[in-house]
Amino acid sequence: MPIIATNKNGQSLLHIEGDMTIYTAADMKSELIAHMAQPCEREIDLSEVSEMDSAGLQILILAKREAEKHGTSMRLSGHSRAVLDVLDMCNLASYFGDPVVLSCNEKKGQ
Amino acid sequence: MGKAILIVDDSASVRQVVSIALKGAGYDVIEGCDGKDALTKLNGQKIHLIISDVNMPNMDGITFVKEVKKLPNYKFTPIIMLTTESQEGKKQEGQAAGAKAWVVKPFQPAQMLTAVAKLILP
Amino acid sequence: MSLDLDQALQTYIAEARELLQDMEDALLRLEADPNDADTIGAIFRAAHTIKGSAGLFGLDPIVSFTHIVEDVLDRVRDGDVVIEANLIAVLLESGDHMLHLVNVVAAQGGQLDAEAIARENGLRIRLQAYQASQDSSKVSHAVQVETETSFQSSGGGFVETDNWHISLRFGQNVMRDGMDPLSFIRYLSTLGEIVSITTMFDALPLADEMDAESCYLGFEIDFKSDADKATIAGVFEFAREGSLVHILPPHSKLTEYIELIRSLPESETRLGEILVATGALTQQELESGLSEQQTSARPDGSTTPLGEILVEQRSVEHEVVQAALDKQTQSKDSKNKESRYIRVQADKLDELINMVGELVIAGAGVSLLAQRVKDNPLQEAASVMSGLVEEIRDGALRLRMVPIGETFNRFQRVVRDVGRELGKDIELVITGADTELDKTVVEKIGDPLMHLVRNAMDHGIESASIRQEKGKPEKGTLRLNAFHDSGSIVIEIVDDGGGLNRDRILQKARDRGLIAPNVTPPDQEIYNMIFEAGFSTAEAITNLSGRGVGMDVVKRNIAALRGTVSLDSAVGQGTTVSIRLPLTLAIIDGFLVGVGKSSYIVPLDMVHECIELTENDRQATGERSYLNLRGEVLPFVMLREHFEIEGNGARRANVVVVSCAGQKAGLVVDELMGEFQTVIKPLGKIFSTLRGISGSTILGSGEVALILDVPSLVQQAVNRESQHVSTRQLTH
Repeated sequence: MPIIATNKNGQSLLHIEGDMTIYTAADMKSELIAHMAQPCEREIDLSEVSEMDSAGLQILILAKREAEKHGTSMRLSGHSRAVLDVLDMCNLASYFGDPVVLSCNEKKGQ
Repeated sequence: MGKAILIVDDSASVRQVVSIALKGAGYDVIEGCDGKDALTKLNGQKIHLIISDVNMPNMDGITFVKEVKKLPNYKFTPIIMLTTESQEGKKQEGQAAGAKAWVVKPFQPAQMLTAVAKLILP
Repeated sequence: MSLDLDQALQTYIAEARELLQDMEDALLRLEADPNDADTIGAIFRAAHTIKGSAGLFGLDPIVSFTHIVEDVLDRVRDGDVVIEANLIAVLLESGDHMLHLVNVVAAQGGQLDAEAIARENGLRIRLQAYQASQDSSKVSHAVQVETETSFQSSGGGFVETDNWHISLRFGQNVMRDGMDPLSFIRYLSTLGEIVSITTMFDALPLADEMDAESCYLGFEIDFKSDADKATIAGVFEFAREGSLVHILPPHSKLTEYIELIRSLPESETRLGEILVATGALTQQELESGLSEQQTSARPDGSTTPLGEILVEQRSVEHEVVQAALDKQTQSKDSKNKESRYIRVQADKLDELINMVGELVIAGAGVSLLAQRVKDNPLQEAASVMSGLVEEIRDGALRLRMVPIGETFNRFQRVVRDVGRELGKDIELVITGADTELDKTVVEKIGDPLMHLVRNAMDHGIESASIRQEKGKPEKGTLRLNAFHDSGSIVIEIVDDGGGLNRDRILQKARDRGLIAPNVTPPDQEIYNMIFEAGFSTAEAITNLSGRGVGMDVVKRNIAALRGTVSLDSAVGQGTTVSIRLPLTLAIIDGFLVGVGKSSYIVPLDMVHECIELTENDRQATGERSYLNLRGEVLPFVMLREHFEIEGNGARRANVVVVSCAGQKAGLVVDELMGEFQTVIKPLGKIFSTLRGISGSTILGSGEVALILDVPSLVQQAVNRESQHVSTRQLTH
């Protein structure tokens, strides 16, 4: 599956790989929503997202809303070029409220 | 690598012109000479847009669109139908089948590029 | 942006010509079966494609004329117009005119001359009869472009901003339909500057109810651009179905903004905040606008319509007529030309075949050297290589082989037209259409065939009344047949007409001194007299069956292709003309023979056997011109004498028995040197009068060898022999 979840100091790290498009949206939705129900802090690593369209964007918005509903938090990190382009274009970077930093290679190596 | 576009038309010259125009704009182009042939080109590779003629031997454009809509990997691929001004009915059939974009034949290469750019940029 | 479309234009020209040919063939098929939906579909497609592609190249004259043809064909397809003879005639002529357009406008970049324009106008008028009456009731999807002034200002005036404001609420299905809302915005940003954008996802339902493939997004955009409204509206053209798209031009009226706010799904407050935040409206504008609108609301409760082109409300999904669709899907046209073929320029093939030719010669050289050094492994390697070279040669030549069917099919039209001209009902039957031969031969065989076909129709097949008298079917039959026969292709033109009048031809031949008065050659030979030069024109034969006209030219043309033509006829039953042609003009398998120091090549497929010239025979050659081949009379030619080679004959001589068109002859040579494949180099013009030589080639050793023109040598031997026979008969 394109989402790999790991636990780090009680915080779960969701690593999304591949496309976040209409083709993957349905699977992505059910998985992400399931994770959002967990009562913990989480970070979604988007460094390996290769393509994102409106469907993918909607899923991110939905996840954010779900997390808020459950009173937990969701942070995005490592935005890939594809993700950044979409968030920029839609002026949504501030909505997600995460520091947008281009993931660098040395960061990946850790 | 640019985004991949599949152009389906039984006229080699139409394919050639569209192909030259699209490649010039930075897209990758794959050609199919009718619906049947085009389906064989949808063999797992990523296709971002399909441009299809309506009137073709072996498998016409409408049937082709319906077939594409059945393929899990391609059912959400945007499709541009090539219609003629006299084919309002065909355009509607195509839209009903799932090809929501269209370019009216005869068209200039620039018109095609505009229509494509609305759907995907290279 | 200028594109280099030259090559594509060449493709178009070739494609259009091919399509026009298909269209013509199909039209002729329609004559026999006027209701064949597949054929009608194919004709429509041809016109459709020609027009569509012409538009790409801006070939307006082609588009404009073909449009009418397509229109008529469309009506035929829909069953509104019935196929009948006149319509087919007009369409055939239209096809001819389209070909002319392609040739003049597309190929030469020229313009129609006055004559062609007149013809086109005539065709347009005739086609018009089949077009739908131009009813002006055509529903113009008139978009209400209400002028801004038609808005009664209810105060408030114009807003300050000089940006466009675009409100988008996408339909739930857009993504499923392959349209990504983000793409439209991306494209919009190429037309100007997106000053601000707010993504609206208020419509996004709870997780359980949310369908990941449905679209719930909307956007409020302030946009700075010099583009006109139609261009900006065009951006969202493909997503209009089920979507809300509102576009307010710069300095729109405040009331329009207020209307917009009211028409959008989100609350006034939320939208108002957004518009103020993005700078589309000032706080003051918003407040005064909202209050004004309230007071000026119409008594009937309706609101002022937004004066926008693009207030597209969620349009109804179009109804699908399933039956019509299914009908459309059935296309039995199984020939999928494009996917099975690669279009290659003929020049490239010619070049390849030329190179292979050189390879063949070089290979022969290697073999020769290998033999000379008597190195066994080397000889073996050389022989393997020549085997491969031979296969490559065959393969390369096969690339240029095309079925003769296409050439034959062209005559459908000729037979039809000439038949009409002559008032004769003649059917063309084609067999052996799959028989392949070299493209270079095909190109050159058209004219002689045309001549023979016209002749057969004009003079061979009788008029209906005469046929009736003779108890023949009224409808005449002309057959074109082709088949392969020992390395040649044979093309037959068969008619079921009156046949040739043997006696009149014989008489005429005698008058002309072509046959001695007291000699009576076999019938076949008499018939073939009509191919002799000067046997033409002749009123005398015209009223018999008139095959004189230009037949010598036909024969010459065919001879130039290393072919032969012969004729057989049965009185009252018809005439068969057989053309025998080599499959290719480029390479032959030859049999190398030596006479004195010279080498000659006999085309291998004509070599029957080789025998030694016995001492008895040799002595006999002085007095008679034939040999005894196992009891058979074999006329022969002494090549040494024929080519006037100096020196005495070798001690031992050999006879190469060759056969051609059913006749055998012997060629007496000194030495038999074996098989040899060779590339034909045509002889220069100055040698064109040489009899008995058809070309030359270069041997592996670098020497030149002449290729013997066996048909003419055989003919010569046979003639001489029959003269001998007749003189002998005389002396008896």
